[in-house]
Amino acid sequence: MDVFSLEEESGCLMKSCREKYMTGLMIICLFLILSISGCWGKREVEDLAPLMGIGFDLGEKPGTYLITQQYAKTKKGGNSGAETEERTLGAEASSVREAFDIVSKAAYRTPFMGSLKVIVIGEDVAKAGGFNNMLDFAQRFAEFRRSMYLVIARGKAEDVLNLKLRSEQLPALYIRSIIEGGNELSAFPMVRLGHYLTVLGTESTAPILPVVEAVKDGEGIHYKAEKSDEAGEIRIEGAGVLNGDQLVDFLNDEETKGYMWLEDDVSNRLINTVDLKESNVKFSGQVLKSSTRYKVKTDGENFGLNYQVRTSIAIDEVLGLDRQLSGTDWIELVKEAEGSFAKVIQQECESAIKKQRELGFDFLGVGRHIEQRNPRYWKNLKERWKQEVSDFPVSFDIKVTVHNTGMSSSSATNSGGEGQD
Amino acid sequence: MERISAHQFTTLGAAVLLGTTFLPVASIVALVGGRDGWMSVMPGFALGIPYSLMVLSLMNYYPRKNLLQISEEAFGRWIGKLIGIIYLLCAIYLGGLLLGQVGDIYQTSIMPLTPLWIFFLGGIILVLYLTRSGIEVFGRFSEITFPLIVVAILLNVGLSIPRIEQGELLPILGEGLLPIFKGSLKVIPFVMTYMLFLAGVIAYLPTDKKAIGQLKTGAWKIIFWAGMLDTLIALIQMLVFGPSETIRLVYGLLALGKMVEVSRTVSGVESLFLGVWFAAAVIKIGSLLFVAIWGLESVFGLKGVKWQHLTAIIFLGIAFKNVRAPSLITEIGLIDEYLIMPFVSLWIPVLWGVTRWKRGAGN
Repeated sequence: MDVFSLEEESGCLMKSCREKYMTGLMIICLFLILSISGCWGKREVEDLAPLMGIGFDLGEKPGTYLITQQYAKTKKGGNSGAETEERTLGAEASSVREAFDIVSKAAYRTPFMGSLKVIVIGEDVAKAGGFNNMLDFAQRFAEFRRSMYLVIARGKAEDVLNLKLRSEQLPALYIRSIIEGGNELSAFPMVRLGHYLTVLGTESTAPILPVVEAVKDGEGIHYKAEKSDEAGEIRIEGAGVLNGDQLVDFLNDEETKGYMWLEDDVSNRLINTVDLKESNVKFSGQVLKSSTRYKVKTDGENFGLNYQVRTSIAIDEVLGLDRQLSGTDWIELVKEAEGSFAKVIQQECESAIKKQRELGFDFLGVGRHIEQRNPRYWKNLKERWKQEVSDFPVSFDIKVTVHNTGMSSSSATNSGGEGQD
Repeated sequence: MERISAHQFTTLGAAVLLGTTFLPVASIVALVGGRDGWMSVMPGFALGIPYSLMVLSLMNYYPRKNLLQISEEAFGRWIGKLIGIIYLLCAIYLGGLLLGQVGDIYQTSIMPLTPLWIFFLGGIILVLYLTRSGIEVFGRFSEITFPLIVVAILLNVGLSIPRIEQGELLPILGEGLLPIFKGSLKVIPFVMTYMLFLAGVIAYLPTDKKAIGQLKTGAWKIIFWAGMLDTLIALIQMLVFGPSETIRLVYGLLALGKMVEVSRTVSGVESLFLGVWFAAAVIKIGSLLFVAIWGLESVFGLKGVKWQHLTAIIFLGIAFKNVRAPSLITEIGLIDEYLIMPFVSLWIPVLWGVTRWKRGAGN
């Protein structure tokens, strides 16, 4: 009897010890879970200054940069919580961390980098090269995301970020909105930090960044400015071609549009044939869809790259049509329009190729296309690609289909002929 | 003695094999295999199938025994003990290093100011809790968490599709089959680390004829699921980052998680992914703690809670000793490649061969 009771007692004791042990472990686990929630790095949202844009210009002292940081501040008395006003601060420093250190001493909130939308690289820094050192912080520090946009500023990045826009928006957010709305135009590339770094990793391709500029009244756009010499609008037009992280040259609007076709980056585009001299009737339209494929063609000895552009367009505007057309004539005119649009696309593509040949930098990624389609040939070519890039034969096969001509066929004309030539 | 079912074996095995491999796999295969590196994951993992079948066939001959006990019978006491010591060292050192990696991942990515000891202690207490509860509870834990890990990975991969760069996958097989072969060699250590666990867990598997068939199917499934998920991860990173960035990024999958944006409303979801991945790390470290416990028991006859605690403390010590992330990651690679891979890749076939030969001679 005694033996049994002793065994029972020791069993109970063991069980109670085990329960205590497990309870103790549970309490420690709970304590640790509470600690992990962020006691050490905890920051209240109200104490954070969300960084929206950052700009890099050359500093006055050699080896330094003027680093402009644009923070958003909730607007007091705004109609909604989403209304913000800007707080832009700059500091001259040799590293981005140092610039944040300087600015943090003046800011009453802690900078939060996770909200960064746009990095603006000033023209002087881009031309001098070496701005990858400035981007290192953005791609290394965990708060940042690789999805932020990169742009080159015509002039100083500081000036762009300090603009007082007529829309009263933050310049950084305004640039972000233009870029994200860019699909409807497909007139400039959308370059995120991640994309830039990926292109940088390919040896043969030169990176390209869109160009942002302040626009004064009369510089392509007319508006009623508060002060005649101050810009109140921002525009993204053209692009900058880089050799590594050094700006080589700017592409104009036509060359950039050519780049967009050849990169298969056109979603919707507004396109017109106004500048074509061959035809009296001019057309404007919207690209509904487009795809660009490429083939490496060879006759056994010589190689060349052939771009095949297939585009669907809806005609929105017909100019210079002074008579009512019959059904068959209208069909013929639409076919003519397809040819005219194809010529415009070809002109844009050719101007991009011409620029690439002038510069000798493969911003169109022709080398990568050859590598993708004919890796064996690329192996022979890649060592001398820098010399070949200016002469490598490129051809185009462009086909445009007009899907519709809008709500009418022939344009409205004076049936009696009055006022018509 | 505890038992785990064939289904628990499959989910536990897949969770252990997947473990923390999904974090470095893309970078490792891209470094040697370039653009085609992602294709080398499955061939590398496939080596796990013959190894698993060898282990399961040994289980047939020696039911309820682990490979260390079988080794002692096959090679003699001292060689068996020597094998056991190497087995033990591999488990303890890698377990400690992986615990250190948990701290590194969380501190680098989302909690930079939280001290490392919080992650170390939090991780090891959870691991200890699971190992003390036994292999059956560990199996059930994996049955619950493994689907969550899979969903988190698939969501991360799926939501990264809008970030895919054009043509990064091309040319396919531009350098021939050699890069795939080289890449496969680099993922074999992952499989061999899983074999350490399999070598011990066989003592807890059912041995009836029907169950053996299910276990063999399970062994195939483990390799397939873990291999497919790692392939998918390596592929999406190649598609989004391209080869040079995939190599450069320390934790590419975390960088992908940071890029996930659904419209302008949902972003910064990497913390959710990291929460689920903590479970994966716990399973992996837990499996190595089990391996160490089995090793201690088989080689030195050391049983009981105090030895589990002591092993956990050694894990902690190794984690604290390796707080420099670059050295830690290199160290994990070295242990995997130059200690675990050669040891396990020789041990299991030789043991299997010797056992078969002895059985043949006996007949």
